[in-house]
Amino acid sequence: MTESITHTLDDITAWLFEHIVQPAMYQLGLMDWAEDAVDWIEFGLFGIFSIIVVYVVCRPLEAWWPVEPVTDRRAIRTDILYTLLTRLGLLPLIAFVLLNSLSAWWEGTVADSGFVPPTLENLIPGLREMPVLAFALYVVILDFGEYWRHRFQHSFRWWWALHSIHHAQRQMTFWTDDRNHILDEIIGALWFGAIALLIGVPPGQFPLLVLISRLAESLSHANVKLSFGRVGERLIVSPRFHRAHHGVLSAAEHGKNYAVLFPVWDWIFGTADFRRDVFPRTGDPEGPEALATGGWVRQQFVGLKRMAGAIAGRSGN
Amino acid sequence: MRRRALLLGSPLLLLARPAAAANELVYVLNSGDSSISVIDADSRQEMRRIPALREVHHLVLSPDGRDLLIADSGGNEIFFVDPATGDVRRRERISNPYHLDFTPDGRHLVICSLRRNQVDIYQASDLTLLARLRMPDKPSHMAFRPDGKVVYVTLQGSGTVAAVSLETRTPMWEAPVGREPAGIVWHRGKLIVGVMGADHFAVMNPETREIERQIQIGRGAHTIFIQPDGKALWATSRVQSRLAEIDPSTLDVRRVIELPGGPDCIAFAPDGAIWTTLRWAGRIARVDPRTGEYETIRVGRSPHGIFVQPGRVES
Repeated sequence: MTESITHTLDDITAWLFEHIVQPAMYQLGLMDWAEDAVDWIEFGLFGIFSIIVVYVVCRPLEAWWPVEPVTDRRAIRTDILYTLLTRLGLLPLIAFVLLNSLSAWWEGTVADSGFVPPTLENLIPGLREMPVLAFALYVVILDFGEYWRHRFQHSFRWWWALHSIHHAQRQMTFWTDDRNHILDEIIGALWFGAIALLIGVPPGQFPLLVLISRLAESLSHANVKLSFGRVGERLIVSPRFHRAHHGVLSAAEHGKNYAVLFPVWDWIFGTADFRRDVFPRTGDPEGPEALATGGWVRQQFVGLKRMAGAIAGRSGN
Repeated sequence: MRRRALLLGSPLLLLARPAAAANELVYVLNSGDSSISVIDADSRQEMRRIPALREVHHLVLSPDGRDLLIADSGGNEIFFVDPATGDVRRRERISNPYHLDFTPDGRHLVICSLRRNQVDIYQASDLTLLARLRMPDKPSHMAFRPDGKVVYVTLQGSGTVAAVSLETRTPMWEAPVGREPAGIVWHRGKLIVGVMGADHFAVMNPETREIERQIQIGRGAHTIFIQPDGKALWATSRVQSRLAEIDPSTLDVRRVIELPGGPDCIAFAPDGAIWTTLRWAGRIARVDPRTGEYETIRVGRSPHGIFVQPGRVES
């Protein structure tokens, strides 16, 4: 079944590229980017597919056992826009265009130093024959990196000014996962690139596993009164676990439950809150109203302004 | 006594044993899947799939024919494969290898790194890096002057061809050739370059650096290969999806075969068949050059480099 889904997506990608995108790129003199365009079509199609899967799983759960009633549909619509911009590839495409020259320069500089970035499979040769295990190990290490990035987002005032957009949502649903400032996404890409310098980038042939991790991240934001039980809460981030992180008393440096996929990091570093009966209200009471109820453009602008203010040493609001 | 009879008889038994045939194998680099498909050319079946690290694009046979060098650009390594069996013999960590080839005398291995804007010159015997040249933008494919003293590299992002001296290991010149040049061959004193942003191959005189003529084959002209017997050149276009046969003397297009799926690299089989990767279709095609008919076989995603290992009879 996985193979037939993959083949179907590949065939649609090939048709779109060969009959629509490539001829257009040829006319526009953009053939230098033809191979990258294939990747972006795949990204977009996979994004559509993953949005459908996430919706099919999360929406019934939210309808079945919500934590709170939906009172602000406009705020949810803004989150849907964030999701579409991110998952369909528009924002990642902008980041790619902005960072591509920097990336080529950086990789060339690293190469000139004589350092050849390794991969996990170089470091642990046995993984060559076990690509799924190699991928799983990448997920664990990158999740560890995400835990620390997330902690830093809450620790540095300038970074919190950007990240507070994510926390400002008072009507948190599974759509909230992608509610991030574009500059925060770019910093995330640089963070990922730094880790990749040490362990390489994960292999890209496991769309099903990527889909599962995306589903888990979206589900953790869902408006559903769901805990995974005494053991499960310690294995994978649940909607309960992550809602505690988004709680009104957890904003900025008071945070708990920073983990993205695996709560074990919070457990190890003493930031875990495993109380299974706590489903707090979400939002950032200290943040400006525009971050909670403003549109996408306004939120981006205010986030940037607050970051500049934080760097200049002014009040964050 | 019985044992002695058996020993005496064993050579006869060996002679009587039917010869074991090693089938012709086709190696396909699935750049989007991090794998290499090994296809049995007779049955058209995929015999095995060799895992790579990240992104395999091009490959080359070592001068002694013993190793097939497969470049994994994203994985920063080249692995050495026994072309007869597909077994991986060893791996070498190399910075972002994209297109690669040995100099005609086999002493040097030149590697283009498309993403890192570098051309590396290695000593072929032990892969010692002799020189790393920083190039303007996206060094893509290469061709050697037959005396092995100069390598010509297409610069996809710059729209130029650069000449690099392998004696001094320094760039010699750079000349415009057209938008997004890709494949390049040396042919009878000229360079023939696929101009991907246009519909033709450019014929460049490396002495004057002038474009002397254009060979129209279709939009997205990409790579070009010389048939082993030298009686034809075969060129691909990826936008118009064509395979074109070119007369080696006149450089006129003899015929065009429409081949949907974005034909890219080409390999020739001993029986004359042409194998080509169909980049966008996740397939390869086996083309009969006599009739122009073709059949396709599904492989991995974004197949790029391709190589045919001739079959042989083992007695």
